[in-house]
Amino acid sequence: MKRARKGRGFPAAGVPFLLWTAFFVAIPLIYILCMSFMKRAATWGVVAEFSLGSYAKMLSPAYLRVFGESLWLSVLTTGFTLLLGYPFAYFTAQLSPKRRSLALLLVIVPFWTNSLVRIYGWMILLRSQGVVNALLIALGVIDTPLKLLYNFGAVLVGMVYALLPFMILSVYNSISKLDPSLTEAARDLGAGKWRAFWSVTVPMTRAGIMAGCVLVFIPSVGLFFISDLLGGAKTMLLGNLIKNELLTARNWPMGAALSVVMMAATLLVIGLYQKLSGEKSLEGIV
Amino acid sequence: MRKWTRALALLLAAVLALSLGACGKKADEKVLNVFTWATYFPDDILAEFTEQTGIKVNYSTFESNEEMLMKLESGGEYDIVLASDYIIDIARGQGLLMELDKSKIPNFKNINPTYQNTFFDPDNQYVVPYSAGVPMIIYNPAMTGGVEIKGYEDLWNPAFADSVVVMDDARNIIGITLKTMGKSFNETDPAVLEQAKEKLMTLRPNIRAFDYNTPYNLMISGETAVGYMFTSQVITALNANPELKTVYPAEGVGFGIDAVFIPAKAPHADNAHAFLDFILDGERSARITEQTFYGSCNSAATPYITNPLLVIPDDAIRSGESIKDVGEEATALFNDIWTEFKQS
Repeated sequence: MKRARKGRGFPAAGVPFLLWTAFFVAIPLIYILCMSFMKRAATWGVVAEFSLGSYAKMLSPAYLRVFGESLWLSVLTTGFTLLLGYPFAYFTAQLSPKRRSLALLLVIVPFWTNSLVRIYGWMILLRSQGVVNALLIALGVIDTPLKLLYNFGAVLVGMVYALLPFMILSVYNSISKLDPSLTEAARDLGAGKWRAFWSVTVPMTRAGIMAGCVLVFIPSVGLFFISDLLGGAKTMLLGNLIKNELLTARNWPMGAALSVVMMAATLLVIGLYQKLSGEKSLEGIV
Repeated sequence: MRKWTRALALLLAAVLALSLGACGKKADEKVLNVFTWATYFPDDILAEFTEQTGIKVNYSTFESNEEMLMKLESGGEYDIVLASDYIIDIARGQGLLMELDKSKIPNFKNINPTYQNTFFDPDNQYVVPYSAGVPMIIYNPAMTGGVEIKGYEDLWNPAFADSVVVMDDARNIIGITLKTMGKSFNETDPAVLEQAKEKLMTLRPNIRAFDYNTPYNLMISGETAVGYMFTSQVITALNANPELKTVYPAEGVGFGIDAVFIPAKAPHADNAHAFLDFILDGERSARITEQTFYGSCNSAATPYITNPLLVIPDDAIRSGESIKDVGEEATALFNDIWTEFKQS
């Protein structure tokens, strides 16, 4: 009996999947982890010599500031996408089925366009002789163009714009599953509109909110081109730093070490998500 | 199983026979293996070479100089390599370069002497300089309000608050800071670099954006008043807005030369010599320059070049300085300063 069970736990059908995981997930990760403990070679590549140098370097103030700024931007991005995405998802769920599909289609379709192209669109809107400034000048609101591009605000706008669909879709997913009779019951029992919203709707859709936050927060740590294009590369984020270490400074161990830290932080956030949402599986965010 | 083994053995034998056969006649094959960045030798020039000589060109590319060196060290069979000065210097030190037979390159005399006797080939034995990358200052007179711009120091002028675009590059920007302090682009003394860092930090309020690849867009769209970028990018900006002005900085330019060499183990050295002579022809060299947008190193090409910015004044080069490899420690220091500066 015991033997038979053991055999079933390892069916031949699982072998391709295991190989796939080993080759494309496990081995690259181990490779990155090993490289992060090596030393940079003089011209190209790494020297297989154990060193904690890359990790020690991360504790210097310049690097800590990069972490801090990255974290701050990610928190802000998550906050704003929630602020914009929740009402959007909430009101979309109230629409008639036909309009609802249209609203969701409008969220998803731009998503099919390359995000780099869409960010260039923002550059055309925001630059000093761009659409927004031209409009404001034509309306007589301002005399000289505003400096809308190449600052922290522009980066934040780009990040929120790029990641908003993740938030909307996960929140919508849980709001649409909400049984309307629950809020009706709350209203019948004397709760006001807001009270019913805060004490019934929000807690009931917490899973969607959490999933949305994780889905926005994690990629926001790694996105580097938005800061390069809209922020004039003036805000160095974790993603920029990794790109810089790997491509420009050619310090592969440093880039690998930063990637390891980023992955560890990501795991931490997912762990937090599991703990707070009480969900053992990761179905909500995959 | 048996069948497989036999098939495999046959295949191996075939491969062996073919490679042996190939070995025997390699030197007089009509082939040239070129190794450089993508599109750096213009297609029409290569096609013309094949047409005239019947020599087929195999074009392999690398992404970075360091990748080139690694492949050359591990025995890559190339006949012509086009790369940057500092890495050629390293390759020369390792004996990876073949001494040129100048009797096979009559056009060698066309090379502008300003680009000869360089640090990476002091006795002109190994390389043919191909192009010079010289960053310069560009400004928009409509936006600078009559402030005169002569050199790097002017980038620090408080009048240009939040209106300067510079390339996103540690060596160049820390380098120009060093120049304003009367030091070298290739400074390695940590104490001096520390001073440069402090001075660099005061440039920060003037920086509107860092852009390595498309800084001309900011000059064209009026986003920035002053820029520091490569000549090719300056030309792109000038094509869109001829009102822009250019300056070779008074403190001296920091430039890089890309040059062509023949690897010591080149399988088709004769073809490689023929190719070098071919690209050194004045008229042809001018055509290359007008396509790659880098400064010309060929005196015979000058009359054919229509864009004056592509012929860098000899004085600018002589008073300038090559940006060299500064070694592992100083490179790390440059990168650290850069990270700190960008994050400030």
